[in-house]
Amino acid sequence: MASPLQRLRALHPSIDIGFKALTRNRLQTGLTMLGITVGVATVLAMMAVGAGAQQSIEQQVRAAGLNQLTIKAGNWKPKTEDVGGAVAHQGDADDTMRLPVDELMPEVPEAGDPFYGVDVLPIRFHPEDDPMEKHDHPLAWQRLGDLEAGLGASATLSFDDAEAIRELEGVQYVACGVHGNARVHYAAPSGEKRWFTRMHGTDLHLLDIKRTWTLRTGRFFTEDEQEEKAQVMVLGSVVAEKVFGVGVDPVGQEIAMWNQNFRIVGVVTSASWVVRPAAGDDEFDAVYMPYTTTHRLLNLTKLNDITVTAASTGEVSVVAKRLEALLRQRHGITVEKPDDFTIVTEATRAITTGGLPPNVAAAIAGNVKELERVTLEQLAGTLERASGTMRWLLAAVAAVSLLVGGIGIMNITLLSVTERTKEIGLRMAVGARGRDVTRQFLTEAVAISLAGGAVGVVLGLLASYLISSMLHWATLVSPSAVLVAFGVSAAVGVLFGWYPARRAAELDPIDALRHE
Amino acid sequence: MIGVRSLEKEYHVGDHVVRALRGVTLDIAAGEFVTVVGPSGSGKSTFMHILGCLDRPSKGQYLLGGRDVSTLPPDELARVRNETIGFVFQGFNLLARTTALENVELPLLYTRKGAVKAAERRDRARRALAAVGLTDREEHHPNQLSGGQQQRVAIARALVNEPSLLLADEPTGNLDTTTSHEVMEVFAQLRAERGITIVVITHERDIAAWGTRTIDFKDGVVVQDQQHQPTMGSRAAAAV
Repeated sequence: MASPLQRLRALHPSIDIGFKALTRNRLQTGLTMLGITVGVATVLAMMAVGAGAQQSIEQQVRAAGLNQLTIKAGNWKPKTEDVGGAVAHQGDADDTMRLPVDELMPEVPEAGDPFYGVDVLPIRFHPEDDPMEKHDHPLAWQRLGDLEAGLGASATLSFDDAEAIRELEGVQYVACGVHGNARVHYAAPSGEKRWFTRMHGTDLHLLDIKRTWTLRTGRFFTEDEQEEKAQVMVLGSVVAEKVFGVGVDPVGQEIAMWNQNFRIVGVVTSASWVVRPAAGDDEFDAVYMPYTTTHRLLNLTKLNDITVTAASTGEVSVVAKRLEALLRQRHGITVEKPDDFTIVTEATRAITTGGLPPNVAAAIAGNVKELERVTLEQLAGTLERASGTMRWLLAAVAAVSLLVGGIGIMNITLLSVTERTKEIGLRMAVGARGRDVTRQFLTEAVAISLAGGAVGVVLGLLASYLISSMLHWATLVSPSAVLVAFGVSAAVGVLFGWYPARRAAELDPIDALRHE
Repeated sequence: MIGVRSLEKEYHVGDHVVRALRGVTLDIAAGEFVTVVGPSGSGKSTFMHILGCLDRPSKGQYLLGGRDVSTLPPDELARVRNETIGFVFQGFNLLARTTALENVELPLLYTRKGAVKAAERRDRARRALAAVGLTDREEHHPNQLSGGQQQRVAIARALVNEPSLLLADEPTGNLDTTTSHEVMEVFAQLRAERGITIVVITHERDIAAWGTRTIDFKDGVVVQDQQHQPTMGSRAAAAV
């Protein structure tokens, strides 16, 4: 029955009076609104450009995998951080590095030893470690939980750990991983093809985590296949090309590994121009199968690693802390004991494998908990600078037009007060108090600025659309930005309407009544 | 109803001190129809402003309905104006481009409990307009009404909050003789029907004759104050 506007006007008589004043001088009101309109439109466009830049930064960061953490079974470094907030010292870092090295160092022959005085140190060599040897069964260090398992392959991570991590706050995707090397065979019509490559038993969520990956053909394996431990395989594009040839779609073909046949369901390759698939890399010169299948075929129960992504890029360190606490609790590790797992973030990996001396890298990684944030900021900075100029320009335009609009509102309100001095006197005579009069003129000012703001929001939406379609800037208009734009226009109305409204309220009723 | 004691009012105009009222003491009983006469600058308007709580005296006391209102703060004075006093002005002071009904509703926006609800406002404004004989002019704008009709709208506005005191500052100043007497008859009728205390400022003797008492002002003091038989309009006489 009653329109929303009518209901709004019925809310308070001052609001009604304000609206009436607006409709009385349409042209003046319209011109005054213009300043606010331009201002609000610019504010909105500015926020849209800012948010758009922010979003594209986030997307870049995610694509770069910087929100990714990998939890590896085993730990080569003692727990150095967070003992009463202490930081790791250089000395700790040395210890850190010495530990595994010491274990690998052969014992120095003592007197009486048949090797004493001999200049050649004995090398403990296991036949399975012969790099020239090709094996068609998992090597000892690949058999997880084996007593002979090498460093970093401790059998500490379980599927239940992964499930618990999935429930953790701030965690987006979780993928289990079992890794190894393997040889694939394909009985091509022209003869048997073989390729020695990386084998990853993984999780169907891996594709969500690896944002720079894309499926060239086929699909990733499904939840059903993972549950059924199906013998399905996704090939890295390098393997597909080496075994089947360039341009041949291998989906649907059978390929053999460990004397088992696998049905090929898809081929993954890189979607990023930064990463080109190459022979010998870990991602595309590789084959993927459900980790459950790996478990079944190799008779394993533990995981090599768990890959996790943080929902928010800024939260990587927080999530890392939560993961650590969770796993320490699940593994029943007491305070004085070191972790039996290692959490590696992409950023720490970049530093620790980035050509730094290992002890320096370890010291940095141990000390700088906020490391990945620094990296994020560097990345963000580049994009931020690019959109910064645009935003400053818009901010300047917004500030100027809001100021001009505000002065316009002050002007029209002052004019209105002067024009209606007699009316103010009359209202006071019939019982209006100072605050009633203030409210009346403030409502008028705010009504003009809000009306201008509403038009400005529409123009702002249009402007952000044009910016993104013509200048190819990423823009994002969020509901909160629209609210802020409205808020800004209301604030301008209050700010610039206040002085005229106060002046009206402070009029002497007798003088006001006599005013002609 | 009204009691003023040694009322004085001084204005500072530059270095000058203008003594508009120099000690006025008088009482007005409830239901009296008082006309105040005097030349320009005699202080009658100042007296009226103080009676109407639009101004405060420099010295002296003003008791309205037994309450000393001479020292009340501005917001309290606004309340008193809203609840106990109705004003009628020489220039009508109606809001342009606003209907007669909405003009009459105006005082109802500023009551102690905030604005009266729209439906009730409308209802009360209709009754007030009916009381001054303008039932068929509710939706007219002031520029569509004659002077006498406009002044009657203004009277309806003064009545809408059912005040006990009606103050009129030269209500017939902008009207011709016939209309003037019509308006005065409305006052006489209201007094007769409702017992409202009425104070009218005028400088025309035949208008002053409508009151039951005439007070003469000169140079800020009362020079004459006499009761008399009022002129009776036909309708007022019928009501008595």
